[in-house]
Amino acid sequence: MAVEEPTPMKTEDGWTSARAHGAARAAGTGRAARTLRVRVSAVLLAAVVLAVLLVPPLFPVDQQAVELTAKLRPPSWEHPFGTDSLGRDLLLRCVYGLRVSLLVGLVAALVATVLGTAVGAAAGALGGRADRLMMRLVDVFSAVPHLLLGIFIVAMFRPGVWPVVLSVGLTHWLSTARIVRAEVLSLRSRPYIDAAISGGASRTRVALRHLVPGVLPQAVLAAVLMVPHAIWHESALSFLGLGLPAHRASLGGLTEAARGSLLAGDWWPTLFPGLFIIIPTLAIAGLAGAWRERINPRRRSELML
Amino acid sequence: MTGSTPAPAAAPGGPSRAATTPPALELRRITAGYQRGKPVVEDMTLTVGPGEAVALFGPSGCGKSTLARVAALLHEPWAGSVLLDGEPARGWRHRAPRAQRTKVGVVFQQPRLAADPRLTLSRLIAEPLRANGRGEEAARRGGELAEAVGLDAELLARRPHEVSDGQLQRACLARALALRPRLLVCDEMTAMLDASTTAALVAVVEAYRAENGAALLAVGHDRTLLERWCDRTVEQGGHW
Amino acid sequence: MSAPSALLSVTGLSVRFRMRGNRYIQAVSDVSFDLAAGECLALVGESGCGKSVLASALLGLLPGNAQLRGGALLGGGEQLHDGAQPEPGAFEARDAVDLIGADERTMAGTVRGRRIGLIPQSPAAHLSPVRTVRAQLEETVRELTGTPRREVRAAALAAAGRAAFPAGHLDHYPHQLSGGLAQRAATALALVADAPLLIADEPTTGLDRELVEHTVTELRRHVDDGRALLMITHDLAAAERIADRVAVMYAGRVVELAPGRDFFGGPGPRHPYAHGLRAALPERDFVPIPGMPPELGALPAGCAFAPRCTRTEEACAQTPELVDGTACHFPLTAGAPAVVGAPSTAAAPEGDDR
Repeated sequence: MAVEEPTPMKTEDGWTSARAHGAARAAGTGRAARTLRVRVSAVLLAAVVLAVLLVPPLFPVDQQAVELTAKLRPPSWEHPFGTDSLGRDLLLRCVYGLRVSLLVGLVAALVATVLGTAVGAAAGALGGRADRLMMRLVDVFSAVPHLLLGIFIVAMFRPGVWPVVLSVGLTHWLSTARIVRAEVLSLRSRPYIDAAISGGASRTRVALRHLVPGVLPQAVLAAVLMVPHAIWHESALSFLGLGLPAHRASLGGLTEAARGSLLAGDWWPTLFPGLFIIIPTLAIAGLAGAWRERINPRRRSELML
Repeated sequence: MTGSTPAPAAAPGGPSRAATTPPALELRRITAGYQRGKPVVEDMTLTVGPGEAVALFGPSGCGKSTLARVAALLHEPWAGSVLLDGEPARGWRHRAPRAQRTKVGVVFQQPRLAADPRLTLSRLIAEPLRANGRGEEAARRGGELAEAVGLDAELLARRPHEVSDGQLQRACLARALALRPRLLVCDEMTAMLDASTTAALVAVVEAYRAENGAALLAVGHDRTLLERWCDRTVEQGGHW
Repeated sequence: MSAPSALLSVTGLSVRFRMRGNRYIQAVSDVSFDLAAGECLALVGESGCGKSVLASALLGLLPGNAQLRGGALLGGGEQLHDGAQPEPGAFEARDAVDLIGADERTMAGTVRGRRIGLIPQSPAAHLSPVRTVRAQLEETVRELTGTPRREVRAAALAAAGRAAFPAGHLDHYPHQLSGGLAQRAATALALVADAPLLIADEPTTGLDRELVEHTVTELRRHVDDGRALLMITHDLAAAERIADRVAVMYAGRVVELAPGRDFFGGPGPRHPYAHGLRAALPERDFVPIPGMPPELGALPAGCAFAPRCTRTEEACAQTPELVDGTACHFPLTAGAPAVVGAPSTAAAPEGDDR
């Protein structure tokens, strides 16, 4: 097998870019695909956010306006997504549903992250018996299926947005706590923590100046990745009829309500809410994934001489 | 398990001077480790006289770094006692009184791991001052220290990943000297460095010691270097 | 000095990194050297002098923002073990290959591992922690040599033997090995395809003296077997033990290229930096070279060492070329007094330095 001698692309004054002949795998391959993924995710997410923010004020149409003469119309110019079994415009219903879902997703992810980071950081920083106690607590919580626990929490309150937020938040902090604790433990054994202690830094100072900033990127990433999770969880609760009251649009509720018409061959009342769940969550996950690669220290140190 | 060999050139440690001044560091019958039942250091005794430079020499894995951490009050031994300037250690890590643990300055082997990646070098050097509520001294003392270790203003504004190992180790040494420790513990300080940077850092340590009369415990495996640098070498052999 | 039998011939190799804001970091500048089979060249210099970048360039492992100039020709070289050579057709083609011009497919498919073996800095990190040494060796054998399935086991055993890795430890996981054995395991992997050129990147950093001795002896044995070894290190003591020739790198340039005997022995290095580096050893003067090396992103015009040098004159504003083994306008003459930091007394610059 003869070695091919490709003529490398010369740039100005005789320099050749390492990329011209493949460069290193880490930096070279998959780059285009990654860029595309980030762009598509960003555009989709921007569209979703704009729709959610702008549609309600710009189109002051009552999304709950029932028009029984126009029920279950397929998509048309008048109703791009068609209408549901009560003749309500599905596009509007979806946008309002997504609004609720995003709100629930963001707030619940925030609750989960704050709780998880606090517990994880405390467990990691304190160590010993406190650590064991807290992590066993986490284990106990994890042993109960999320949805079951979520249903239990929702069932204790009247239907509404906040019980759902609480339900999602209280069931999703466990993984964040584990991630943060592991990160804190790994940071805690670094010589630079030893150096800080030796330099007279107090416990609080070590935690606030050295440990928490080190953990923050991971915690924020966990929070962002939690948003799609929370949206799905909310949808699942609503689908089971436990989420928001029936008159308020929610993506899970819409899908559930349309189950019957799907059997009758009317595809649009399930398809569009379904897409509204899937697309934003994929977009958020795509962006978070790209960001995770960026903060990966191995990639950052690629240029070390 | 441990053999104490006074170097030919140096006078044997403490006794002559110890009548008035207590030794800077006394490790008495230290046993320490990380995993239960597997001590890394067993029944080790070591004394560093006031102003004395002692080298602790041995192959990797013999527990000398653990002993250095015990001496710096960073690792609690299972048995034995540590005395700094004649005062018994009353706790380890955060439980050690601040005045006691800042008496010891530590420099580690790998500057990359010993520097918080988010701090600029000038922040890094002044961090002990700030941690002790002496932030107002940070500019002046930090400048002095940077000059002593040969770092210029441009380098001080950078973060660890923007400087070389040698430059970062200079900053770590400056940080260890910030609070004017009475004892300096250098754990393989120069293992990653070239000959010239090694000589430069040793010169900085020696200048500091000449000025402040501080004692030194240098841990390493390079016999030539340690014998040249210190008054006395203690060899720690054996593998556990 | 270019020996006809050079296995690796690097000519005028430069590497720079394009940074944000159209800045460049000039990591390697105009480096030329030859390396013959059965020879060890130690590339010494402090951290950040560009020596590891040079190694990455030779292995085609630079990141995407790197730019290269010059050439590095890996010659065919003779087969090392003519007797035991009936390796099934996989890689008998050992044409000369330009390491700088070759594309990734060529480097991955025919060069890395097959014609250049890399001995890593920390063997423990180089080995997969979840597989036994035998599994990793066998995988490498299969991947690199295309040995028939039933012969893989024997081939892996042979590779282990070549690196003096005890067969009894083959079924151990990397964390169960001592430092010395882990080093041998990594070396065995590098030797699987019988690569004629070995590149060792800081193989002794962080090892204790005993293990350094051991590693150096092992590496020397492979050189004596007829392999070429490029050893990158900051440890002059290790270089002294192993190198036939020493190349000192400063700020991306090779400033001194001398036989190890001369460098460490009587005449000593002739470039003031190399001289200062040797003099800084604890067994010698133990005096540092004043100042610090320049940034690779902002190299001064002319000789990069001039700001730290005691012999600087006007001519130093011009970049000196590597002539006669020294890139200096005013090299120290042989037998000059070994005083560091002080201007040398007998420094008659020879006629044509440039």
